[in-house]
Amino acid sequence: MGLEIKLTVNGNTHTAELEPSTALVDFLRDTLGYKGVKLCCNTGECGACTIIMDGKPVNSCVVLGADAAGADLVTVEGIADGDELHPVQQAFIDTGAVQCGYCTPGFIVSLKALLDRTKSPTAEDVEEAISGNICRCTGYTKIFDAVELAAKRMA
Amino acid sequence: MDYFEPKTVDEALSLLDQHGEQAEVIAGGTDVMVDIKYSDEPGCLVNIKRIPDLNAIRESNGGVHIGPLATIHELEESELVRKRLPLLWSAAHQFASLQIRNTATIGGNICRASPSGETLAPLLVLEAEAEVTFSDGARTEPFSAFFKGPGETSLGSKGLLTGINVPYPADGSHAVYLKHAVRGPMDIAMVGVAVMATANADKSALDDVRIGLGAVAPTPVRAPKTEALVSGKALDAALVKEAGASAASESSPITDQRSSGEYRGWIVDALTRRGLEQCWQALTGKEVA
Ligand SMILES: Cc1cc2nc3c(=O)[nH]c(=O)nc-3n(C[C@H](O)[C@H](O)[C@H](O)COP(=O)(O)OP(=O)(O)OC[C@H]3O[C@@H](n4cnc5c(N)ncnc54)[C@H](O)[C@@H]3O)c2cc1C
Ligand code: FES
Ligand code: FES
Repeated sequence: MGLEIKLTVNGNTHTAELEPSTALVDFLRDTLGYKGVKLCCNTGECGACTIIMDGKPVNSCVVLGADAAGADLVTVEGIADGDELHPVQQAFIDTGAVQCGYCTPGFIVSLKALLDRTKSPTAEDVEEAISGNICRCTGYTKIFDAVELAAKRMA
Repeated sequence: MDYFEPKTVDEALSLLDQHGEQAEVIAGGTDVMVDIKYSDEPGCLVNIKRIPDLNAIRESNGGVHIGPLATIHELEESELVRKRLPLLWSAAHQFASLQIRNTATIGGNICRASPSGETLAPLLVLEAEAEVTFSDGARTEPFSAFFKGPGETSLGSKGLLTGINVPYPADGSHAVYLKHAVRGPMDIAMVGVAVMATANADKSALDDVRIGLGAVAPTPVRAPKTEALVSGKALDAALVKEAGASAASESSPITDQRSSGEYRGWIVDALTRRGLEQCWQALTGKEVA
């Protein structure tokens, strides 16, 4: 049984069919083509598939695709302003917070959501914001540097 | 797989009646989605998220009424919960990552009836009630009667949890929720202990001590013998030690991939001692002698 849903992703309206048991991550990647949303653990533990759904960061691998009907989603593809990267993206480059890069879209989305909530986050706020994002390469220090730099540039 | 988005509780209940064991309710989906991927797909999915007004958190009859669709993060953000139910707030705050807290509902946590469910031991200690609704009517029952075993509740396959009523704790009470997990909040609790108490008038003894244990029995449980042991007494080092051992003996932990049963027993002992000491200090301003 196909289900037709209408939703907004990065400001674009989509109408598409999905199987009702489909996870949102698979719908975004395979049906709508938002491959910036990464699939890794597929059980809600690593944060690679993080997107912003109606203003809140969620793991799209444990959200039912059908729940996106009528929702407003933001993926990593949607946060730059034309050719100008979002300050969090630029700071990741400038501080070297990217190694293999697989975790990066999830971190960037979680941290964009953080900076949308608070202009000058404390170290504790940052820790909480990315407690659900795992990075096996960087050791996190550069990621903390990146948020600090991005927050400074956005101030 | 059949899929339904009922718009009312009645509609959801008649779907459950119709589809029986085949049907699975889905709320936030953080447990159900993982099941769909890695265990069996249900014959039919009843998504209750579009039923309006089931996520309220409001004052009602000397307590807080919580709708089952309130997310863990909504509990954490609620001033009412933070101020009046700090024990539940603390469990919500130690619950998984922000992404999961934004999706997971309290109703899902309760109905999953995992002994390690973060909100369950606090709800037992707060002596909260479940509003359970079937197609032939609704009733309330204490959570001590609601949990039947791992994954089993008095809802069976045809009931819905439609509300959670939490009475305000006594004025001047203090409570703590202590979670032991390898990776902090991100991890499922190996052991969770909730302790709540009040002090007597001249602050020389603890009264109405309540202890809830998570992840160490087939359901979350209270530790009534330990509660009776400590209530009405001044807390000293010998009593703390006795209480820890007593709580451990009231638990019946299993060995699984997260920890051995023996280790869980030691942690129940340690967290019970720590919880009692913290309540004593907060209530009397004194260290445990
Ligand atoms: C990465 C990760 C980390 C986690 N960490 C924790 C943690 O730290 N602590 C913790 O306690 N849990 C944790 N969990 C488990 C899970 O997130 C919680 O149990 C959550 O509260 C479930 O809520 P949900 O809305 O997502 O439930 P769902 O998955 O939608 O449903 C769970 C169960 O409840 C039933 N159900 C839901 N609502 C109702 C209702 N109103 N009436 C009748 N039945 C209903 C469903 O049929 C299903 O059986 C974690 C899960 C993941 C994936
Ligand atoms: S892929 Fe979704 S959290 Fe890991
Ligand atoms: S950069 Fe490789 S996992 Fe984070």
